[in-house]
Amino acid sequence: MSTTGGQTEPLEHPHQELGAIGALGAAAIDLIIGGRELYSVFVRTLYYVARGRREKGALVRQMYEIGNRSIFFLSITMGFIGMILVYQAGLQAKRVVPDYTLLGATYLELLVRDFAASLGALMLATRVGAGIAAEIGSMVVTEQIDALRMCAADPIDFLIKPRFLASLIMTTMLIVWAGTVAFVAGAFTAYFAYDVPLQTFFNMALVDSGDLAIGLTKCVAYGAAIPIVSGYCGLSTFGGSEGVGWATTRAVVNTSLAIIILNFFISGAGFLIFPG
Amino acid sequence: MAAQTTAPSSEPGPSAISTFLAGIGRSFLEIAETAGGMTILLVRVLVRLVPPRVDGRELLKNLYKMGVKSLPIVAVTALFTGAIMVIQAATIVKRYGAEGLLGWGAGFGTLREIAPLLTALMISGRVGANNTAELGTMVVTEQLDALRVLAIDPISFLIAPRFISIVATLFMMTLFADALALFGAAYTGEALLDVSPVTFYNGLTSGLLGFGDVANGLFKSIVFGLVIGLASCHFGLATTGGAPGVGRAVNSTVMASAAGIFVLDYLTSFALGG
Repeated sequence: MSTTGGQTEPLEHPHQELGAIGALGAAAIDLIIGGRELYSVFVRTLYYVARGRREKGALVRQMYEIGNRSIFFLSITMGFIGMILVYQAGLQAKRVVPDYTLLGATYLELLVRDFAASLGALMLATRVGAGIAAEIGSMVVTEQIDALRMCAADPIDFLIKPRFLASLIMTTMLIVWAGTVAFVAGAFTAYFAYDVPLQTFFNMALVDSGDLAIGLTKCVAYGAAIPIVSGYCGLSTFGGSEGVGWATTRAVVNTSLAIIILNFFISGAGFLIFPG
Repeated sequence: MAAQTTAPSSEPGPSAISTFLAGIGRSFLEIAETAGGMTILLVRVLVRLVPPRVDGRELLKNLYKMGVKSLPIVAVTALFTGAIMVIQAATIVKRYGAEGLLGWGAGFGTLREIAPLLTALMISGRVGANNTAELGTMVVTEQLDALRVLAIDPISFLIAPRFISIVATLFMMTLFADALALFGAAYTGEALLDVSPVTFYNGLTSGLLGFGDVANGLFKSIVFGLVIGLASCHFGLATTGGAPGVGRAVNSTVMASAAGIFVLDYLTSFALGG
């Protein structure tokens, strides 16, 4: 707790004296340095997954922390988004073709391809990403990370690796659950708002192996991205309680951006590979 | 808190069921406490607005810091979101060969739901969380008490300007994101499906979409702004316990904002109807 207090200037305007072009260059250099460090965290995590020590119970504890404790939050948000999506889609379908027989099938296809994974992962980014960054950030400012290094334990091996593995497993499971919740909520919305029978809505005709492959790729990619990006933000914390707040903020924003950008590339590649 | 103490004592030794029930009761009471605290805060802010007693310079500073500084992140999000919407609509458009409807398909999803929703989530992360961190640090370092000692009302000096700035920022950013998302969507359609941007814009303006769809999204953005502003100020002011406390407060803010955004999105969608 060396530097607490309201000195926001060095954090907010680090490049003010440089002028416009200088500030642009400084931002680009910051981006490159950040990208390189993020890559280094990712590679070191993969290395320790293969070669690191096994700590008993750490993985299970993180799986509980990331998985079980997110279920309530994720169920609420995905249930509501499922109801909204079907309600809005029904409103539009009414304007163009007043035919609801394919509503459920199309909704399920979109859910499997994209919405379950992307919206679920955005929710996990706020819940899990902010949690990881806040926890690791507080460890940094209270010098617990330095203590770990003194004991010859790499914080990546000790802190990031269990979170990475736990998130990889639990994100996939949670997203399957999130998709189920969103689909069931949508089915009941269609039933009550547009009188679509549940048998008509539960139609899996349009979901093929390509959709499943894209959806599962997204699960794995997001599951890997959330702990790496937010762990990196947590580890690069500096400067007391204000620093922890900044690290948590950056974790939420950067994780969400990473999800949206990954979504763009995976969806684009998926469309080119499975155009059906 | 009552459930926490009474439920285990009603039986000899806390059985699994009673701890489970106590857990439910405790989370219910926590949600009620948060909702109540946010409502009281809203009333306190609104009282300061009727004859406006808001610090002007603080308002301008926050509008710059929250609005102007969020432009790059909103622009990136909106461009990618528009592109993703077209990629998702592309399979359906190809199946039916309805290229003229691409603008409508991507347009209604973007304008009514996805642009306001994703902008709100990004602003909640960028601005709401940041605001909580700042207020939380001030609370932890006793700067709010210092303001009270100087007979400066913390609500009109700190909270009301931030609250107004967040609502205004989200409204303007949603306008901006609507436009950029459709721009991104139009050029992705050209690259991926050979649908020229002119066809895309015709699909947007051919009468299937009206001002009502844009207004629907913009109205939602105001509602989301209220939720984000209230949640971030409430959790910022309720921070306790040093640096880890600030981290926890930020975490609670983004979670409460996200849950609030989705629940209110559903309620406003139904209330506004078609």
